[in-house]
Amino acid sequence: MSLASKKDEESGLSTYYNNKTTVIQEARVFNDSPISPRKCRALLTRIVYLLYVGETFTTQEATTLFFGTTKLFQHKDSALRQMVYLAIKELATTAEDVIMVTSSIMKDMQPNSEVIYRPNAIRALCRIIDPSMAQGVERFFKAAIVDKNTSISSAALVSAYHLFPAAKDVVKRWVNEAQEAVNAKGSGSFFGSNTGGNSYLGWGSSSSSTTSGYQAIPSTSYITQYHALGLLYLIRQQDRMAVTKMIQQLGGGKTGSGTVLKSPLALCMLIRYAAKVMEEDPNVQRQMLDLIEGWLRHKSDMVNLEAARVICELKNVSPAQLQKPIAVLQLFLSSPKSSLRFAATRTLANLALLHPTAVATCNLELEQLISDANRSVATYAITTLLKTGNEASVDRLIKQITGFMSEISDEFRVIIVDAIRSLCLKFPAKHASMLSFLSGVLRDEGGYDFKRAVVEAMFDMIKFIGDCKEQALSHLCEFIEDCEFTKLSVRILHLLGVEGPKSPQPTKYIRYIYNRVVLENATVRAAAVSSLAKFGLNSLDDKLSKSIKVLLNRCLDDVDDEVRDRAAMYLKVYQEPPLADIYVKEESVFSLSALESKLVSYLSDPEAVAESFDVSSIPKISRAQAAKEASRPSTLETLGAPSTSKAATPPPPTAAETQSAYASQLAEVPEFETYGTVLNSSTKPAQLTESETEYQVSVVKHIFREHVVFQFNVSNTIPDTVLEQVSVVMQPQGETGLTEDFLVPIPQLSSANSPGIMYYSFTRDTPEEYPIGSFSCVLKFVSKEVDPSTGEPEAEGYEDEYSLEDTELSAADYIMPTYVTFASEWDRLRGGVNVTETFSLPAMDSLKAACDSIIEILNMQPLGGSEDPQSPTVHTLQLSGLVAGGGGKVLVRSRMTYAKGQGVALELAIRAEKQESANLVVAAIM
Amino acid sequence: MAFFSSWWQWFAGFFFSKSAEITIVGLQASGKTSLVNVIGNGQWSEDVVPTVAFHFRKVHRGNVTMKIWDLAGQPRYRSIWDRYCNGVDAVVFVVDAHDKEKFDTAKFELHQLLAQPSLKDVPLLVLGNKNDLEGHATVNELIKALDLDKIQNRPVSCYSCSMKSQHNLDIILQWLAGHSH
Repeated sequence: MSLASKKDEESGLSTYYNNKTTVIQEARVFNDSPISPRKCRALLTRIVYLLYVGETFTTQEATTLFFGTTKLFQHKDSALRQMVYLAIKELATTAEDVIMVTSSIMKDMQPNSEVIYRPNAIRALCRIIDPSMAQGVERFFKAAIVDKNTSISSAALVSAYHLFPAAKDVVKRWVNEAQEAVNAKGSGSFFGSNTGGNSYLGWGSSSSSTTSGYQAIPSTSYITQYHALGLLYLIRQQDRMAVTKMIQQLGGGKTGSGTVLKSPLALCMLIRYAAKVMEEDPNVQRQMLDLIEGWLRHKSDMVNLEAARVICELKNVSPAQLQKPIAVLQLFLSSPKSSLRFAATRTLANLALLHPTAVATCNLELEQLISDANRSVATYAITTLLKTGNEASVDRLIKQITGFMSEISDEFRVIIVDAIRSLCLKFPAKHASMLSFLSGVLRDEGGYDFKRAVVEAMFDMIKFIGDCKEQALSHLCEFIEDCEFTKLSVRILHLLGVEGPKSPQPTKYIRYIYNRVVLENATVRAAAVSSLAKFGLNSLDDKLSKSIKVLLNRCLDDVDDEVRDRAAMYLKVYQEPPLADIYVKEESVFSLSALESKLVSYLSDPEAVAESFDVSSIPKISRAQAAKEASRPSTLETLGAPSTSKAATPPPPTAAETQSAYASQLAEVPEFETYGTVLNSSTKPAQLTESETEYQVSVVKHIFREHVVFQFNVSNTIPDTVLEQVSVVMQPQGETGLTEDFLVPIPQLSSANSPGIMYYSFTRDTPEEYPIGSFSCVLKFVSKEVDPSTGEPEAEGYEDEYSLEDTELSAADYIMPTYVTFASEWDRLRGGVNVTETFSLPAMDSLKAACDSIIEILNMQPLGGSEDPQSPTVHTLQLSGLVAGGGGKVLVRSRMTYAKGQGVALELAIRAEKQESANLVVAAIM
Repeated sequence: MAFFSSWWQWFAGFFFSKSAEITIVGLQASGKTSLVNVIGNGQWSEDVVPTVAFHFRKVHRGNVTMKIWDLAGQPRYRSIWDRYCNGVDAVVFVVDAHDKEKFDTAKFELHQLLAQPSLKDVPLLVLGNKNDLEGHATVNELIKALDLDKIQNRPVSCYSCSMKSQHNLDIILQWLAGHSH
């Protein structure tokens, strides 16, 4: 087809098809009398086409069309009826009242109606009936699943699969029929005599059957087995034993020859199920692996490949186990079919991340694939080689890649760049050639994702390979001279601001950065101004500093206010050098999640608006920590685990995130509405019971301005009892400065709704002080047994008690760790409250143990790596924290000495903004 | 002679055949499906399964081919009536003449349906079914109860009939044939 005619088709045909309004208008033909099947079919085709290309119909439009199509049930034309079913299936999701056609469809599904469109009717039915009607069609479905016509049987199986989520109980009863469909020797033996010619006859017989109405069509694909297997697994997936049994039964013994499964698709599915079972249950691993290895020798390529892939993706697979699948894949590498070559290289590329040596045996074949006509195959071959190759081959490979980088799509270029990125870190000595490669591809045409991958690779090189920093920076400078992506420009400018001033010749970057101020859009200009200022303020060179001041002065004339504001701010910093410590050299940032939750509570509290937002109550973290929290999936991961589709477990929530989760929980309890916002919550629940006991209780403490709330998480682990009126009774030991308010018991607690949450509230007698103390706790409840037959608890229960460990309200509950620059803050607080105390801790047997326990007791942030004592005898521990409820900052400098036999002697110097905060720290250590 | 006339009728059917598309609506259990059965094959049965959504039926009667949409009368299906009344030759509204308590509902549903713009000018036939039962409403009572005299701009007829005894079936068929084309 020539280009011109293709264009014609695009503009002519597709706009004709793509016009929703005309289609809806022409839907009048459905109401014509008599109906013209040809016209209606053409229109239905257009509707279905529109739906398939993503056009959406409103509910109103869809409903109108839907009811129009139902009128076509009056016509007997089978081709039209098939089209009607296709349209109904697609419209059913948006149209209303689709249930209307049920009876018409059911009529077509009758076993005695020998019509070609019976499968279509079955498939349409499952889209329109609601779960409550599934029972009513059960009989039809059971019969259809075991029908000797494979298309009917397949249709019923697939429909059952779709019905399953809605009507589990009904579909579960069809398991025997599904089993029969799997085992059916099927049309294979039924038409056993002519299996050889089936592939030719298949088409002929199906086309003839449209005219003769109904005929059992011999199937060569055994697709029914695939569908039946899917349904069987869906029904049994909760029951691992049953799945294992099914796999063994269908797997057909060690060689795999005894299997009834003839469909390669079904076998592939079975292999995947087997892999899943293996992952969940290590006990059956041996048996399953034997089965899968048997399939490596199956006559279908698809099955071999799937088996090889599953073994390669196995967790902790041994090199010996890998031998066979790799041999199979190696064979595929030289296959004439490019799909096989692609699949094999892709699997090997993934495997090479973890077992490069095992894959290295295929290097010879992979080398040949570099010049493969199919660029996707070549890309994977090269990335695999990059991972398996040694240092010597790197140069040669890079040369080859450069040759075809321009010929492949962005997606594959990203893969290659990622491979290069991990390679640089593996062979840092080769950085020169890799850097020149990266800078080369940076100049190529490419989309954002590709450029970002390259820039990130260079960032990593700057970060991890000191030698290439200079050169990489200059490449990046060149790149931003002509960079169309604002995001990348901003990131590079930021990096230049951080790394540039440290380089031996900072001046050479200034020109590039200032060019941005002249040439780029406002966002980039603002970033460039910040970057310039970092050069000016960090540099020791006075001359440079002065020239940058001149440049910044020019920025004051910028049209954009953000750019002007930044320039003005940095000029101000020029005049007052101490400000530079805060605005340019500051090493800490706010903990973003904590900042967010505080801001949310500030905005939701109408009374708080009268005051300005208190930034000082937000804990800070160092830049390194912030970078860790926001870390992109980067270098180490591309080096480490293979990027298979398995979902990664989410990282454990940070302290600040749990805080905001608690805050929203507390907001749901009406009694605490008047308490204001939570000032602090303990980071980790403290266990009050052993982990194996019948009742498990943990406590979390929440500090409010005038109140303290204890949150007890109570779990009932006994399945057949229900606890009612569950409460924890707290008895303060000695004077605590707290007055008991009330408690919120858990009305009913069974093992199903555990853990339940119970609250105990106290009022702080004097809100300025920080009461600490210890409480003895007893769990009280009414225990009732559950009648196993009805599931209802008995009417009569008995009261019971269960004693828990004591709960401490300690200094750690008031203090949040926060990051500061210790030396300067320590100096600043010279004028504040100063307390010095000496202690002796004879029980401590090392300085490390003393540090750990002090950090734990105070819940403060150790600074400058001072939590790890360097010397065994003398150490200084520096801590900083923020006291909740306006207590301000507290800094602790703890000098300690250790002598064998005498334990640790401690001199604790505390500087705080308030006296109460200092008292709190002293009281905590005593 | 009889043979000849029936042959003639069949033959004339080719040249003078007429067709009519008819929608039958009404509250549940008023006898809509029974009407279709009686017209279709002359059989009346005590137990008729409630219709789900609709049944479509083609009936040949003399030289008239009738396409009949027999719609369900349960409340949940009443909203779809108008969709099947679009472009038909006649609408038949069946009322259970013995169940006077439902006249108000029937009146409401009927007028609701007739207010649809798609039903403009479509002839209406109201049938007071089940007149074999004692205490059924007469035609005049029906006209009053259903406000049939207030319907304008369309031909309206109202007959009392019984599907069980096939009373008045002939005039119904005559009416339907009269509205074919």
